[in-house]
Amino acid sequence: MDLVYLDNAAATRMDEKVAQAMNPYFFDVYAVATSEFGYSLGIEAKEALDAARESIASVLNGAGEELVFTSGSTESSNLAVKGCAQALKRKKKGNHIIVSGIEDFPVLNSARTLEKQGFEVTYLAVDETGLVGSEALEDAFTDETILVSIQHANQEIGTVQDIKEIGKMCKEHDVIFHTDATHTFTRVPLDVSVIPVDLVTLSCHTLHGPKGIGALYIRKETPLDKIMDGGFQEFDVRAGLENIPGAVGFARAVELVTPQENERLKRMRDTLIDRLLAEVPDTLLNGHRHKRTPQNANVTFHYVEGESITLHLDMRGFAVSTGSACFSRSLEASHVIMGIGGDHERAHGSVRFTCGRYNTGKDVGAVVEAVSDVVQSLRKISPLGKGG
Amino acid sequence: MTTIKVDCVGETCPVPLVETRKAIRKASSGDIIEVTGTHPASKKEIPMAVEAQGHEVLEIKEEGDTWKIVIKIR
Repeated sequence: MDLVYLDNAAATRMDEKVAQAMNPYFFDVYAVATSEFGYSLGIEAKEALDAARESIASVLNGAGEELVFTSGSTESSNLAVKGCAQALKRKKKGNHIIVSGIEDFPVLNSARTLEKQGFEVTYLAVDETGLVGSEALEDAFTDETILVSIQHANQEIGTVQDIKEIGKMCKEHDVIFHTDATHTFTRVPLDVSVIPVDLVTLSCHTLHGPKGIGALYIRKETPLDKIMDGGFQEFDVRAGLENIPGAVGFARAVELVTPQENERLKRMRDTLIDRLLAEVPDTLLNGHRHKRTPQNANVTFHYVEGESITLHLDMRGFAVSTGSACFSRSLEASHVIMGIGGDHERAHGSVRFTCGRYNTGKDVGAVVEAVSDVVQSLRKISPLGKGG
Repeated sequence: MTTIKVDCVGETCPVPLVETRKAIRKASSGDIIEVTGTHPASKKEIPMAVEAQGHEVLEIKEEGDTWKIVIKIR
């Protein structure tokens, strides 16, 4: 049975071209960049690292020295939120942080940790599509506010925030602005010369790149404390031996994304949403219909549980997820669906479909038919009502 | 031919289906899987899921609150 993989927001199949680009840095240029002062192989490694850095930063219209490699989105967001909050508190700038209530766990749990350490945190409510309201944000600022962290797009429902407007508001209040762009990088434009954002979390695991590598864009002069002690790598911001193959793979993955691919993903997303809503009764789209990432469709199927749908789809050769990837082993209600005003039933019945480079229109048609059949069958035996 | 027994007594949805799926992955063609459980919804959804995969449900037995589903792997 061929697998139809529609969970590209969780992980993606690596592009062979990415693997080819990385390969020499496992077997030939295996030195680390910090060895550049010792021998030529180290210089080669450092050159590859810097070229990858420049290449990725240029997509944001930023400078190479504003980009620090990390182990992934989780570390990037931890570094951004905790590192910035600690640096500003040390400088006695204030102790209040604002995050949206539907952030992914690296930001949300970093904020919770800071709260335990004495910071005040406002968890902003969002509207029914997942958008942060400018009035709600304006009301949240206090004289003590030092940092705002609001994602570029949501990990579960794909809603894309107006980060230009949010950034402007942060600048008016002289507050640092961090955004998690894990699900938008190269898919939705983000130009740091236009958008007043100071810190941007980046990753390539959703871009057919390797796992275990990420980056944080840090605008020059942004206060940031190291959160992990060690050596002086990455401009003395992030300690640890550089992941040269990962950085090279990250840059190659970014190069391979094209506007045509994003348009193709959008078409598949729209077909998926339109057909699921039209062909499966009692369904509801989660997230904004238009302000959403090109790859994301998230639908609630009433009277059935998303866990059951994903299991039955798996047994028919389809990989999708219910809520965020983290929920697959738990029956916790999704904080995102609850955050957009949903109840437990809506949260449990939500299924996320995320398209990627290797999906086709045929996959979309096949999953719609399978979902329709599975949902219909499950509703006949559903303890949640609406049986047969 | 091997008989694989899956005990899901006391487990609720989705565990019996998850465990059945694991057993199917390990099984070879012609093997028999016997799933025992007590959760009523699982008794209905396991046959549905395995038949969608092309396997054969040979028997569904009930004794009090306990059920046993016997599956033959295609």
